[in-house]
Amino acid sequence: MKIITKMSLLCSIAGLAAIYVGAAQVRPSVTAISKLDNDFLGLKVIVSGQVVDLRESNGHLFLTLKDDSGGLISVPIFSSIRSQIPESIELLDVVQATGVVKEYNGELEVLPEQAGDIVVVRSPCATISALSEDNLGALVKVCGVIAEREIVGKGNLILTLREDGDELPVFVSASMARNSNFPEVHVGYTVQATGWLQLYENELELQLKGASSIEVVEAA
Amino acid sequence: MLDLLAFVALGMALGVLTGLIPGVHVNNMIPMLLALAAGSAFCSLSLAAAIVAMMITYMFIRYIPSTFLGAPAPGTELSVLPAHRLLLEGKGYEAIRLTAFGSLGGLLLSAALILPMLVFIGPAYNLIKPQMHWLLLAVVVVMIVLERSKVRIAWGAAIFLISGLLGLLTLDTNLCGGDAALMPLLSGLFGVSVLLPSLTGKSSLPEQRVDDKPLEVRPHLKPLFAGTAAGALTGVIPGIGPSQGTVLAQLAVRSKGAKNFLVAVSGVDTAKALFSFVALYAIGKGRSGAAVAVGQLVDVGLRELVFLVGVALFVGGIAAFLQLRLGRFAAKHIQRLPYRAICLVVLVVIVCMSVYYSGLIGLPILATATAIGMLPPAVRVKRTHCMGVLMLPCILYFAGLKSGVLGAFGL
Repeated sequence: MKIITKMSLLCSIAGLAAIYVGAAQVRPSVTAISKLDNDFLGLKVIVSGQVVDLRESNGHLFLTLKDDSGGLISVPIFSSIRSQIPESIELLDVVQATGVVKEYNGELEVLPEQAGDIVVVRSPCATISALSEDNLGALVKVCGVIAEREIVGKGNLILTLREDGDELPVFVSASMARNSNFPEVHVGYTVQATGWLQLYENELELQLKGASSIEVVEAA
Repeated sequence: MLDLLAFVALGMALGVLTGLIPGVHVNNMIPMLLALAAGSAFCSLSLAAAIVAMMITYMFIRYIPSTFLGAPAPGTELSVLPAHRLLLEGKGYEAIRLTAFGSLGGLLLSAALILPMLVFIGPAYNLIKPQMHWLLLAVVVVMIVLERSKVRIAWGAAIFLISGLLGLLTLDTNLCGGDAALMPLLSGLFGVSVLLPSLTGKSSLPEQRVDDKPLEVRPHLKPLFAGTAAGALTGVIPGIGPSQGTVLAQLAVRSKGAKNFLVAVSGVDTAKALFSFVALYAIGKGRSGAAVAVGQLVDVGLRELVFLVGVALFVGGIAAFLQLRLGRFAAKHIQRLPYRAICLVVLVVIVCMSVYYSGLIGLPILATATAIGMLPPAVRVKRTHCMGVLMLPCILYFAGLKSGVLGAFGL
């Protein structure tokens, strides 16, 4: 073997080994969701954002995260990984997900590979007294005791939540109220509800996001 | 109209600039043009025309440095690139004339092919896409088997694999953010590894003959047609480089020789460039950095496609003229120019560009790619096996194995 061949081969292998060690050491950096595009396909990234949508199916959890850049990204957590995550994930929680960028049905998603790839920071409930018309259309989470429970129209439910003397009606559509995921709620129960803030007859009202967007914190 | 011409002229000027500096690609200039688009009220179609003009001009002009620079020492003709083989025979300008003919012929033929190809590109692509990894694998196997002797086949396979491994480690990990590694990778494999031996060895060029008698067209028609067809196909299929397209095209039409190779490879190049824009319209995917940028600027419908092809044809004629004039100048003066100093300057530019685009990590990538790129001439196999750098990641991606392979390496 000629000297040039030997040297080239040796440098190639040594270079590959060094690059491998470097690649194995480099941690992915936090990437703004709006920056993610097809160039990131196959790369490992960290995204961090608020859970603005959450869907469950066959034990799998499908999150949509939104960060300050305004971008949205899907983070599917398969049941095998989900079962190893100690805390539950709720709407408006801040989640940091590490995973490989993949394409599914033409949309990008970040696919975590293990439970340690998901870090959840629980967001506190908003204070009812702090809510105003400035928050109209925003997704908010509130906590309170059910002061009134009223059935209106064709089975729609109005729950009035009370917190430190302030009240906020929560509208639950009839279909949500009948859904098997909707928990049994009665006057005196302390609940946590997530939904969009809207105006009804000039009064602020929370429209529940989904049947599972209400959780009983303490039964009376 | 005048502003459109100004943008086309700007694109051509950048195409000449990028074409004359080895290692610098049009893709390096595109972010600059896109930034211009973002911060201005310029018509995006005019900017798209500038990108097309830059890409097409670059395709012609880049044959000048690739012919006249990086010439190996005399006596190594069998393992050198076809253009260098002619250069060592004093026929550097003939190589330029052949590539100008191939580039322009490929551009005209591929423009004529667009309409019939549009009918079946979409359905054919959808049919091929699920089997893309097998198709690419078949191309790789044919390229390696063409080495004929067992030792060379083994070297070809080894070079393909180590190039591919380098591609995986740099393009598909977080080492330097994906595509940022392309500059040192491709410059090392196909640029520095060619320039370095001519810088260190005793490279002396014979006097170059500048012959103006008309080029014989008939003997080169077969490779031109084959090259254009291969370019049209590889413009739509990702991962296959012009050299591989050319070797396969020549194999298909049983065409041989350095001159035919140059006509075919330049035909492949311009056809591939034009069809990368056609792919935007036909399958909604740009198959080159320039096409992706055009796709970001304008929504390419039939009208836009016709406009962009028109720009490419207009620019092609002028670029061929420029290539011949600049090539003639280079052939006449190359012996009087400080050859080693030029190679050295080019090497410094490549190193600086690698650091600029990839950071300091670009240096070990460039060094490793250069070492791998020096293997093919040393073991006398085709340099095109180094295309494993893009093909192996492509094959694994289409086979759905990329994450698994990277995971197996703990990445």
